[in-house]
Parts: sequence; C-alpha cells; structure tokens
Amino acid sequence: MPYHEFDCSKCIPERKKHAVDKGPEDDLTKALPLGYLNTIPGSISERGCAYCGAKHVIGTPMKDVIHISHGPVGCTYDTWQTKRYISDNDNFQLKATFATDVKEKHIVFGAEKLLKQNIIEAFRAYPDIKRMTIYQTCATALIGDDIDAIAQEVMDEMPDVDIFVCNSPGFAGPSQSGGHHKINIAWINNKVGTVEPKITSDYVINYVGEYNIQGDQEVMQDYFRRMGIQILSTFTGNGSYDELRSMHGAHLNVLECARSAEYICNELRVRYGIPRLDIDGFGFEPLSSSLLKIGRFFGIEDRAQKIIDEETARWKPELDWYKERLMGKRVCIWPGGSKLWHWANVIHEEMGVKVVSVYTKFGHQGDMEKGIARCEQGALAIDDPNELESLEAMYKLKPDVIFTGKRPGEVAKKIRVPYLNAHAYHNGPYKGYEGWVRFARDIYNAIYSPIHQLSYLDISRDDIPGDGGFRTQRMISDVNLSQEVRTSKNLREYTGKYDTISPLREKTYPEFNK
Amino acid sequence: MNCELITKERAGVINPIFTCQPAGAQFASIGIKECIGIVHGGQGCVMFVRLLISQHLKESFEIASSSVHEDGAVFGALNRVEEAVDVLLMRYPDVKVIPIITTCSTEVIGDDIDGVVIKLQEELLNTKYAGREVHLIPIHCPSFVGSMIHGYDTAVRDFVKYFAEKGETNGKINLLTGWVNPGDVTALKHLLAEMQVDATVLFEIESFDSPLMPDGNHTSHGNTTIADLKDTANAIGTLALNKYEGAKAAQYLEKEFDIPTIIGPTPIGIRNTDTFLKNLKRMTGKPIPESLVRERGIALDAITDLAHMFLADKKVAIYGNPDLVIGLAEFCLDLEMKPKLLLLGDDNLSYAEDPRIKALQENVDYDMEIVMNADLWDLEGRIKDGLELDLILGHSKGRFVAIDYNIPMVRVGFPTYDRAGLYRHPVVGYAGAIWLAEEMANTLFADMEYKRNKEWVLNVW
Amino acid sequence: MADMNDKIAQLENFIMKKCLWQFHSRAWDRKNQNENILRMTGELLCGETVNTDSPTDRCYWVDAAYLADSFREKFDWLASMSNKEIKALFVALKERMDFVTVDGSLNAELTDPRY
Repeated sequence: MPYHEFDCSKCIPERKKHAVDKGPEDDLTKALPLGYLNTIPGSISERGCAYCGAKHVIGTPMKDVIHISHGPVGCTYDTWQTKRYISDNDNFQLKATFATDVKEKHIVFGAEKLLKQNIIEAFRAYPDIKRMTIYQTCATALIGDDIDAIAQEVMDEMPDVDIFVCNSPGFAGPSQSGGHHKINIAWINNKVGTVEPKITSDYVINYVGEYNIQGDQEVMQDYFRRMGIQILSTFTGNGSYDELRSMHGAHLNVLECARSAEYICNELRVRYGIPRLDIDGFGFEPLSSSLLKIGRFFGIEDRAQKIIDEETARWKPELDWYKERLMGKRVCIWPGGSKLWHWANVIHEEMGVKVVSVYTKFGHQGDMEKGIARCEQGALAIDDPNELESLEAMYKLKPDVIFTGKRPGEVAKKIRVPYLNAHAYHNGPYKGYEGWVRFARDIYNAIYSPIHQLSYLDISRDDIPGDGGFRTQRMISDVNLSQEVRTSKNLREYTGKYDTISPLREKTYPEFNK
Repeated sequence: MNCELITKERAGVINPIFTCQPAGAQFASIGIKECIGIVHGGQGCVMFVRLLISQHLKESFEIASSSVHEDGAVFGALNRVEEAVDVLLMRYPDVKVIPIITTCSTEVIGDDIDGVVIKLQEELLNTKYAGREVHLIPIHCPSFVGSMIHGYDTAVRDFVKYFAEKGETNGKINLLTGWVNPGDVTALKHLLAEMQVDATVLFEIESFDSPLMPDGNHTSHGNTTIADLKDTANAIGTLALNKYEGAKAAQYLEKEFDIPTIIGPTPIGIRNTDTFLKNLKRMTGKPIPESLVRERGIALDAITDLAHMFLADKKVAIYGNPDLVIGLAEFCLDLEMKPKLLLLGDDNLSYAEDPRIKALQENVDYDMEIVMNADLWDLEGRIKDGLELDLILGHSKGRFVAIDYNIPMVRVGFPTYDRAGLYRHPVVGYAGAIWLAEEMANTLFADMEYKRNKEWVLNVW
Repeated sequence: MADMNDKIAQLENFIMKKCLWQFHSRAWDRKNQNENILRMTGELLCGETVNTDSPTDRCYWVDAAYLADSFREKFDWLASMSNKEIKALFVALKERMDFVTVDGSLNAELTDPRY
C-alpha cells in the first residue's frame, strides 16, 4: 500500500493510513486512505462538528425559513456570516439567525419552555415567515430537551406555521458529515410528502446537493429553465421550505454534492422510485455531458445541445486563454468533501494544471475513491488533514496555488502559497460555463500576482532589480508563451461582469409546449 | 429620566452581538507565546472560533480540539484530553503552555478537567515529558454562562493566577489591555514609552499583525511570555483598562500580592486618555511629557475641524464589547454627538452598577436607551419602529442592519472582517481619538455623496 | 488476453476519470449500477434497442448513452469488434468494475449499516 507517512505525524502512527501517494500501478484496490474516523485529539484537524454540518451547511441555505439553534448563543453566532450562499429572497437566510440563548438555569431545569417562547417570539418578529427549522446543539441534546414535542405543540397552536426539527448535536459523528446525514434523513422522514407538488412542466427535477454558493444554483437554474425543465426543489441552496416538502413529485433527482446529499437521493429512490443522476456542474465537458444526460432523460437533448453549443462558443475562447497560461501549474485541491472529485480531472484537462494533491476535511472513503480515481499519478491524497501535515505537504509539493478554506488559506499565505477559497469562492460563481472561466481567471490572478512575485525578494540580501515601477500579470505569465499564443485572435481574457447573478433574476424564459 | 437602562424583553436572541465563553478564552490564549490551547468539546467550538479570529485579523492561529464525539458525550471524554495533550506536546516541541478550555458539552457531562490535569502532571508530564517545561491550565468556560467577554476575563485571570509568582519588585506596571487590536497595543505602548514607563502588557498582541517574510514564516502568535506572566506578581501597580475584560486578573493580583490597582477607564477619547495618563503618573510618579501634550494637541486640532461642524447632534447607535461601547459613547458625547442606543450583549447584571452607566443616566439630557442582554434585533426592531440614526458604531456582524436601512456605519470592535485592516488602527489613546473621529466623519461624508445629501457642503471645507 | 486487458483498462480509465455512477455508497448499489449501465452500454454499442420504459432504466440509459458515444469516439478499435466480442468485453469490464469498486474495494463503508 502506497501510504504516505508525514514526518510530522510519525509520532501518531494511526495517521499513516490516512494519506496515500497515487503511484503508477495503483488502482483503488491498492491505494485508498482511511476516512470518516474519529479525529485524533490535539492534532489540530480542520474538521467542524455535526451541528454545523446540519445547520450551517445544509439547513441554512433554505431561504424562506427562520433558522433557530436551541442552545447557548455561540453555536448560532459562530456559524453566522461565514458562508456565501445567497438567495433570491434578499438573502434573508444570511441576514437573520436565531438562538434560544440557553443559560445555566435552563441546563439545570430544562429549556423546553424557553424554546417555546423563542419560537413564538421569532414568528412575531418576522410575521411574514411561517416556516422554521430548529437545530439541536450539544447542550440541549445532553439535557434531553424534547424539541420535537415542543415543535408539535406550537404547530398545534399555530396552524399556519410549519416547523422542522433536526437533532444533530455537535458531537454526533467524526465531522460535519454526521450532520449532513442526520438532516437528510430527518427531512425525508418528516417533511417530504407533506406538501403536494405544484407541477408546471413535463420535465421535473429536484436539484440536490447544491448550495448556491455565490449563485451556482441560479446559474444552473438558468440552463434548466432554458431547457424547459422545472426545478421542483433545490436541496437546499436558494431552496424553499415548502418546495422541499414536495420533493416526492419530481421525475429525476439531479445530484451534485453526493457527499452531503446522496442520502436523501437514495431514500427518494427507494421510497418514491425517483432515479438518482450524479452530475458535475463544474467544467465545460462534464457540465455539457451532464446537461445532455438530463436532456436525454426527458427526450429533449436537442435543447441541451443548443445551450452547450451557445455557451461553449461564447466562453471557450476565454477558458483557453487562461489554459495557455496555466499549463503545468501545480495545484492542491484541498476542499471539504466534494470538490476534490468535481475538480480533480476537469481542471487538469481544461485548464492544463497539474493536481499534485487532493484532500478532504470531512469526506468519506467514497469521496477519496472518486478523487483519487480522477487525479493523475503522483498526487498525494490526504484524509482529515491537520495543520502540520498541510504545511509539510506544501513545503514538499511546492504548489503554485491551493484551493481551500479561508483560515488554512492564511496559513498558506505565510509560506507564500496563494490560495483561492474552495468553499465560498473568490470571484464566483464557479459553476456553469462562465463560472468555470471565472475560476480560471481567479487562479491566473492568484498565480501571476506581481505582489506575490515581490514576496520572494529579500531586500536586505538580494539584488534589488530596480528595473521598472510595475509588472502586469501578463508580463509574468506570457514570458514563455509563443508569439502565436500571445497574439492569438481566437483567445481572449474574461469579458464578463462582476455580478453575473442579478441579471439572471430579471430574465424571462421561453414557453415550451407541454 | 432621559437615559433608560433596560433589559431585552425577549427570551431568545435574534442576531447575536456576542458569542460564548470559549471564544474569549481562545482569544486570550493566542496572546501567549509558546501556547496552544485545547478546547474540550465538539470540534465546531474551535473550528469556527479559529475562523472568526482569522476573518478579523486575516491571519491563522493554532488552537486544538479534544474532538469529543458521540462516545465521549455519553461515557465522558477525559481520555480525549489526555490524548490531546500528548499529541500536541509530541508534535509541537516548542509548546509550553496548554490551557484546557471547557465548553457547554463537557461542562454538562461533568468532565473533571482539574482532576485530569493533576493526573497528567503526575503521570504523563513526569514520565514521557520529564524535563520539559509544560503548564496545563484548566479554564472553565461553560458556554451557557455569560459570554465571550466573561470567557476572556476568566481566562486572563486564570493565566495570571496560575503563573504569578512573588519575587523581587520589578518596577514595572501591569497593563491589562482588555480585548483589543494590535493597533491598540501599539498605541498604548507608544504612550507608555513617551511616559518612560516600563510595563508588562497583557497581552502582547502587536505581533498578531504579522508580516509575510522572504523566508516564509508561517505562524502568527502573541508574544506574552511565561516570564511576563510570572512577573505580574512583582509589579508596582496594575492598570486594567477594561472593567469587564481583564479586571478579574487585576483584582486577583491586588488581593493576593497587594499590588495597587486601578480599573478603567477605557482610554477611548481625549478625556479618558487624559485619565489614563494621570493614572500612569499616579502609579509611577513619572511626569506627562511635552511630547504627549503636543500629540494631544494634534488630536484636538483634528477633532476641532470636525466636531461642531459635522459630528454635532448626529444620532448614533453603538453595540459591542461593554467597555468599548461605554468608551465610545463617552467620546461621542465629547464630540457633541448623541448616542441614542447602547447595546450590551450579555446578561451581566453588574452593568447596572457601572458608575459610567450611572453617570450617563444622571447626565444625559435627551432620550437614550441602554439595553442589557441585547441582540441586534434590539437595534433593527427600533429602526423599524422609527428610531432615527445618523450612524452606527459596531462590529461586522451587524453589517446588514446598516446596509438594509441605509445607515452609515463605522466598523469598530471585534470582529471587523468586512473592512480592510481595521485591526491595525487604534481606538485608544490620542491616536485612537483621531482615527475614530476622522473615520466617523469620512463615513458620513461618503454617505452624503452616495445619498446626494448636501454633498456640495464639502466643496469648501 | 493482453489485448483484452488493455482494452478494459482503457475503458475503465475513462469511466474513472469521467463518471460518478460507479461510486454510489452501498455495495449492492454499485453492483446494480455496474450491471445495468455497462450492460446497456454494451447493448448500445451493438446497435441493440435498449429498454427505457421505467424512470430507473432511463436513468441507467442516459449514463450508458454517454459512455457509448464517448467510447465510440475515443476508442476506434471498438468499430472493428464484433457484437459478440463487445458483449464479452463488457462482461469482463463489468467484472473488473465490480472488483475495483466493490469486491476488491478498500472502502470499509460500503456495507456499513449506518451509512
């Protein structure tokens, strides 16, 4: 087994099986790290908790809901305003957050009464909102509050409201992934099937495992609408509570982040016979084949092909401009759980970069299977990385850029490795054809930053060039390009706008005959 | 009475102003050199606090978790602490100080961290790490008590209490800054230097604003040493600038080592900075030098350009850490502004006894509300109900109130992640007074232009 | 045989790089996916009619159709194979995929009852 042993982790031998180097002869039966096991205490892992997996990742992107956490105020505060999942509901889900504010007396005497007061107050504060999710936290799980009973009591007293309860305390599992599972199962068990679907098309999908980071969902929604496909619900980015209650009415589940949402797709398949189609919204070829598959499913592949042709013609010259300049650059794909496999192959093929490492903070072995299968030989795959291992990997691999979270990005900055935010994106959205170009542009701007170049100069020792007052990115990136590429009329830099999402919200779509 | 002190009427929190205790203890812990804390609880209690700190400072700080999972929550998780200490010591050879910070979950399950610290000292530290200097410090931070302010105050006290050790008088003062920014520490050290006062600054966090060096230095960390903490027992006096962040430690030193102590006022604004210098003078006998007269003069000169022309009568709401809020309100009054609403974001009952709040109640001659245990809904709800404001002062978590209601806002306090580099600017001292007044004025100016509200006034000024 | 193994390796590599359907999280599910999608891909390459009446079959079919199109485009040696050879190739490919994704898999969660 080609396990990768980090020097910094020699003293904790159980870490050894959590990283592998993908060797030339290795397939998945020879190289796969362990995954989704309890974290080693004190290792300074990057993992979060099961509460955040449920509330912060999956619950909160629902846009028309009061999201209350039942516990001390910290869980609520800490998970508030650290994400970029927007909505077309004036970002209500980003702006308002609710905590029951459990105090010592409630720990001693119970906090159920407090919870009920909170629910009523919250509905009073936002009288237009009639839907609520309640998230259990460590403290209220341990004192054994019966949140379901209180929610039912309120629903009995206030017939116009509906409340969803998610019992996923922080300690429920090795990482946030435990919470993904719990909220998937709680939603299918308690809410799916309780609202009749409003069907407006012959072609109806649930779009699942998509969180509308910087507008990803709205980009994909645009394609689906152009094809005449109805998105009955999105689980959960830009998603609506009642639409998600009617998920059982779709013809097809289109799944993006299988890590966080395969459970509900699997259950919808077993309970309602709705098939599950895994897709990639990132990258031209994977996106095109995904749209084509969905089109084929409904017998409307011509509509898909039209979009593919239009979008490819519009954006491919821009993608290729960046590809020429990113060829051979070394990247680490170090996200949470799904982007390692969404990106590993297509970024190599379509941007020309070399993926030298993939890691997953909270993924399972299944994610590593996909990630390792999709990356090239020589890549280092790490499960549940920790601070010292990431540093060691960066020193060894010398990546030109890494894609990871905000805080690990600050660690990388200090050793002069630029980072892009893999979770929230820099200048997203990154899904869709234009989005993929935006990603390429962000990578280009990170790698070819003139300031980044200056960070290598030691003015106390090195010869200071003094050969001009500035550099442009292209003065750095085009040095080794052929004249033909540099002056190509077929290639061009990104020409899109800063905000690509607001115009989509104004757009009208063709009527297709039913 | 014009100034009313009330407590939030609702039971719950809509858009919190504060997070919980462990965050405060973690923020204190990163101020100490060769220290990595272990937070005993679920992983989110660390992961998100590290993210919060890194959002604010645009740096990463090391804090570990005992990673309590389901089995630990059911059967007790002290074994996780033992393992965490060992793993941390093995992999971070420079670490000497390990606070063990509890959370709600491990307090509810009743894990005896004091007991496990004794056990670890007797066993692990005496055998595997014999000869290595290691300090394990239990810090109790049940999240359901107080707030991040208490957590900070408690942690500072517990660090001081653990280390303070009577020796020869060192001739220094202890300066407990409270929860401030690197820029504040720079400003305070500047004042000390001008006064030629030697001080132990708790905590030495100027280095939080750390450089990007050609040789690739990857850690940002505070610089308060174990020796500094030990020596707090030998100071000639303690100045705790904030009543709610650091005063517990000052009181401990006073009680245990008879060290003369002055608590407050937070040196925000000219008047409070004057008092701070007076206190320094009283404690050390050092005169206030001409250089500071001049510096104060520059501040007064700058502020005179702004106060009665632009700032006077502007209605302000202020939220955040209590000492900061009170200090800002006092300074705003000196600037002829009208703080209308002060929000103190936890249930600390002693706010009502704070002489500064009493002074506001006695002297404010227009309608002002001070809300205790407040949340940001106390701000938004009042705006919805007609409260007119010209300016909001507070941290970034309230940004959408400002954005949605078109009210200009100056970011101040912790965290201020939606503005660049604010941690570099002081709010204390004369430098802080200048920054605050000018930042408020410039924010109002930008708003006048954005709203076309007498923007032509600035044609000539 | 070497030729056969090489062909299987090429097809497997394509599936691994481009597809996601082979990585459902349950062992039984993976076997189902392998069985149905690869069988249909083989049928399509042999020019046979594929049953797409049920939604489940249509979903297998869209992945199979993508594979069949891609294989035809990328692997010109397929054109010179008889239907019988193609069927045999896909039986072997299915066996290989079952081995890589299920029977020889190191993924300890495939049969974890709590998934």
